[in-house]
Amino acid sequence: MLITQEKINEAVSTIIEYGGRGILNCVQCGACSAICPGVRAGFPLLCRSLIRHLLNGELEEIIEDSSSWACQACCRCTEVCPRGVRPQEVVFAFRRYQGNQLAFSTSSVTSQMNLFETGHAVYVDPKEARSKVGLPEKTPTSAFDEQAKQEIQTLINNSPMGQLGLF
Amino acid sequence: MAKVGVYVCHCGTNIAGVIDVSAVRDFAETLPDVVIARKDLFMCSDSGQEMVKKDIIDGLVDRVVVAACTPRTHEPIFRAALEKAGLNKYLFEMANIRDQGSWVHGHDHEGATEKAKKIVASAVGKARNLEPLEDKFVPVTDAALVIGGGIGGINAALELANMGHKTYLVEKRPSIGGVMAQLDKTFPTNDCSACILTPMMVEAYNHPNIETLAYSEVDDVSGYIGNFTVKIRQKQTYVDWSRCTGCGDCASKCPSKVPDEFNMGLSDRRAAYIMFPQAVPKKAVVDMDHCLNCAGREIGTLPKINEKTGRPILAPCERACPAEAINRSVAYNPEGAIKEVEVGSIVVATGYQVMDKGWFKEMAPDSPNVITALQLERIISATGPTEGKLLRPSDKEKPHTITFVSCMGSRDENFHTYCSRFCCMYMIKQARLIKEKYPDIAINMHFIDVRAAGKGYDEYYTGARKMGINFFKGKVGGLEMLSGDRLRVLAYDMESAVNIEYESDLVVLATAVELPQDATTLAQKLGLQFCGANFFRELHPKLGPVETATEGLFLAGCCQGPKDIPDTVSQAKAAAAAAAVPLSQGKVRIEPIISEVHAEVCSGCGICIPLCPYHAISMTTFADRPRAQIEMSACKGCGVCTSACPSGAIVLHGYDETQIFAQIEALTA
Repeated sequence: MLITQEKINEAVSTIIEYGGRGILNCVQCGACSAICPGVRAGFPLLCRSLIRHLLNGELEEIIEDSSSWACQACCRCTEVCPRGVRPQEVVFAFRRYQGNQLAFSTSSVTSQMNLFETGHAVYVDPKEARSKVGLPEKTPTSAFDEQAKQEIQTLINNSPMGQLGLF
Repeated sequence: MAKVGVYVCHCGTNIAGVIDVSAVRDFAETLPDVVIARKDLFMCSDSGQEMVKKDIIDGLVDRVVVAACTPRTHEPIFRAALEKAGLNKYLFEMANIRDQGSWVHGHDHEGATEKAKKIVASAVGKARNLEPLEDKFVPVTDAALVIGGGIGGINAALELANMGHKTYLVEKRPSIGGVMAQLDKTFPTNDCSACILTPMMVEAYNHPNIETLAYSEVDDVSGYIGNFTVKIRQKQTYVDWSRCTGCGDCASKCPSKVPDEFNMGLSDRRAAYIMFPQAVPKKAVVDMDHCLNCAGREIGTLPKINEKTGRPILAPCERACPAEAINRSVAYNPEGAIKEVEVGSIVVATGYQVMDKGWFKEMAPDSPNVITALQLERIISATGPTEGKLLRPSDKEKPHTITFVSCMGSRDENFHTYCSRFCCMYMIKQARLIKEKYPDIAINMHFIDVRAAGKGYDEYYTGARKMGINFFKGKVGGLEMLSGDRLRVLAYDMESAVNIEYESDLVVLATAVELPQDATTLAQKLGLQFCGANFFRELHPKLGPVETATEGLFLAGCCQGPKDIPDTVSQAKAAAAAAAVPLSQGKVRIEPIISEVHAEVCSGCGICIPLCPYHAISMTTFADRPRAQIEMSACKGCGVCTSACPSGAIVLHGYDETQIFAQIEALTA
């Protein structure tokens, strides 16, 4: 792999610009990856190794990787990080970069669509489960509230997400 | 009229890389009273100094300004040059155009050059008004104080004593020995810690020039280099040490149980106790905070009399003591006794503590099988809670898998950003000792990286790999408590970029080295400063590693920063050598840059007295009137009194009114 300072600078400044401000604090100790549920589930490019690739300047090389979308934002990485890197912010910054380059994984497109249509990123039809335990079928959330749904869609359409042309 | 010579230094590119040295020289030539302005690549070089000396000898200049770096490092060199050329060395002024110019304004060459001109003008303004001053000397008390009786303090005391100086060795615990006494073996040679330490403890204790004051603390320090007065509080032992033989019978009869500090809380000691088997001095102490006052024997009360036998009812400890060293009828003063000593120099070797595991919430600190490395040291030590048998705390069973975790609280922005320096090595040592004795135990070591810089250290580390100890690069992220006191380790293998998870029976945390909490109180008493990492600050990180900002006060060992035994011993010997300098010289030089009261102008108002941070000012009588007077050996030349005196009666030599106004004038011109 060829390493150039220009590519490294571009990757670092891109991540910092998108909110991963602590990336240069990383000493590659690996504590984040040791406890990351995403890494434990087999998504390779999260936390320590994502940061390593970015510090090598591999922004475009890994743009299609879907690992970052596996981050559940549990923030345990941020809790154990000894250097104030806040790895979750780096993962999200990389996601924002991917999003702006329209490099979504299919899994994330579904959740974006769900958010647009129901106001929930993860949505399962609740009616049957709720009636089983004697609750009203409809949840008191945006999923069954037309006005709330419309407001959410207005917000999304007027945000950078709306400019992606997904909806 | 003064004849000022100005010498501008390039300092290689340090100054000339930013500042236009020729322009500064040309400008200096235009200043009043400047007769010569020269420049040189390195003014501190022989040729630079020769240039100054020649101009003085040739009668061209009688005041010297060197525009270069900091007076902290270079003023003595140029003052010596003046002296050699036959000029009073205080007719010298330094213009710091490097630290205050080129180094901080590297981005603005023009601005830095203009600032350098102003700094030079100000120095010339002062130099024109300089007066010759004479050094003063005060005699020195030929004795030293060493605070802290660990391996550092013991070595410093022995060095000083062997050089022939009376030395007081003060230790707050009942025995000297420090943390090294708690260790089983020492890297990289695996010598038994007690075997190499105990002879030194005994040697120090029996040395004719060393007075060991165990169970004592420094209460107050006053004075200055050569003449310190130190009040040492000898804490109350409640045992007559002149009778105590160290048999330990009192401890075996005492019913009160207290977590044993020496065993890091892994076992109990008694309220009446001897610190450890090889303690020096081997004397018992009664810990009154935990004493149960058996048989109602409060200290200082007479015993009840047994009606049947007519004999006094004694507490178990006093009954057990065959030497009659414990007598609870004596009204001991709980404050102990104050011993006042006079010393010429002081070595601070107060050591360190390791962080408690409770700080690390992700590391299952509630599990008894998560221990600190110092606790493991006690477990594998023959004098420890398990008498050297490797048994884990929860069920006293032999562990099958042991995990070592590095950098707990070190290199961590949440705790300490520094590297604790010797954890990598002691972890490897502990792993090797265990593997040698129990080859069947699996040992997994997790490091961010192994730091094994030192003589024979890397060989010791690679040797551990050959012994079958498993090394993983990657910090442990967390521990999970499982049923049956088992632990799940959540780790990471950097090299193959995968997680590793396994169950471990015993997890050892290498927690960070830090200053003990009571170090702050001591620092206040001694006037010690702290560095950014919260250890005691040395005078200069490279060139003054044992000196402090207070003359006559020296540092050794971990109180100055984490270091292993070889480095602590080296620094202790260095500190002893430095501390011996004033003692051997028999006198110390007092710089004449100190304040003086003009008695005929002083009104005797006394405003200056409470302001002086060094308690150098007192009242005297002059022409039947009260007047302030300054003790020259205590004055540090801070100038507080000078600026506060409403009558303008106090002059600070070397910074008098004309000189300072000349500087202000030059800077505001």
